[in-house]
Amino acid sequence: MTSTPAPRLVAVGFAGLGLTAALAGCATTASGAQGDAGVNPDADTSAEYADGTYTAQGDYVSPAGPSKITVEITLTDDLVTDVVVTPLATEGNSVQFQGQFADGIATVVTGKDIDTLAVSRVGGSSLTSGGFADAVEKIKAEALVS
Amino acid sequence: MIVDPLPVAWRFDAIGTSWRVDTRHPLPPAVADAVTARVERFDRDWSRFRDDSLVAEIARTPGRYRLPADAPPLLDHYRELFDATAGRVSPLVGRALAALGYDAAYRLRPAAHIPAVPAWDDAIAWDGEYLEVVRPVVLDIGAAGKGYLVDLVSDLLTDADIPEHIVDGSGDLRTRGVPMRIALEHPLDPAKAVGIAELSDGAFCASATTRRAWGDGLHHVLDAATGMPTRGVIATWVLAPTALLADGLATALFLDPDPEFVARSATAFARMRVDGSLEVSPGFPGEVFA
Repeated sequence: MTSTPAPRLVAVGFAGLGLTAALAGCATTASGAQGDAGVNPDADTSAEYADGTYTAQGDYVSPAGPSKITVEITLTDDLVTDVVVTPLATEGNSVQFQGQFADGIATVVTGKDIDTLAVSRVGGSSLTSGGFADAVEKIKAEALVS
Repeated sequence: MIVDPLPVAWRFDAIGTSWRVDTRHPLPPAVADAVTARVERFDRDWSRFRDDSLVAEIARTPGRYRLPADAPPLLDHYRELFDATAGRVSPLVGRALAALGYDAAYRLRPAAHIPAVPAWDDAIAWDGEYLEVVRPVVLDIGAAGKGYLVDLVSDLLTDADIPEHIVDGSGDLRTRGVPMRIALEHPLDPAKAVGIAELSDGAFCASATTRRAWGDGLHHVLDAATGMPTRGVIATWVLAPTALLADGLATALFLDPDPEFVARSATAFARMRVDGSLEVSPGFPGEVFA
């Protein structure tokens, strides 16, 4: 399949980013974070890590008061294959939101064909401008060559 | 089937996306020119994508800057968003976004090192007129700026005695006196809608991380607390009195904002999670295809 190299290459790029940014994030914002938060991007990267999912918790103080996040990193062959950052709301926003949304609808939707609807506009995210779309296409093309 | 509620549509490209202004009669050339000039001025002040903008000057040289007259509503709303999300929505994500690849050249490749997002009170102070910048920062008003510009254009039309109009900045829309039924575009399939929102006066803004995305997990909505793109929520839709509010909330809803702030600022909202589930606020005007 000629199309497989592109997503894989991009995923590898993300992997390096994930390790650096997630751990740097802990190092700069967390006090009392558990785990290997001291890694810096210039460090020796020859070490091998066991595959698996690693979780660290970080504390940071925002204007709204102390907050916690958990960072869960999945390592496969020394590459970060997934990063999940979860705010831990034991009080306040997220918990209240659960209650608020419980009054609404929470279900999996498949949607309807827009052609079949009588509407005056379609509201999605920003249409990608020519420059952005061109740049994405260029990256895909380069990924295929290499 | 899409039925335009007004007979005249004027389309143009500005600030990196497509715009459309709908009216009952063609705009007088002087009004159209004023809209174009207003958009250009906003871009010259606020864009981090051009070297000659005020934001670019601030990024090069910390100091004390008198901001343009349109700054207070925008920065005040940003501060509210910042406080309501425990610092996770911030106008200081510009450098991190650029490092992730979302820069002026659309490099779209993450750098080896992604700088942490500076804390607001460590880096800038805003007194309603002057912005004191004590550390080098790249302002990014992507969370609410386009919605605000939609409001500014709508205000300009109202002042020009065109009270009935729709201003659509592609995803951020303001209607004045024109009833609309807006399909909520499915973030994973642009041919489908997950519901319909109805409004005749006010703003509708949609945001999705699936559109301006350039790699696995890389997109334009950043969590300022982690410096990483957000996870979990893939699309949001917000109805609010102004597009400034609707746009800002559409971003904040990716980052668990204070529900009291949301209830105070938004008329209604919906958001889709990565598992395809849709969450809808009580009393959403319109319908959702559950």
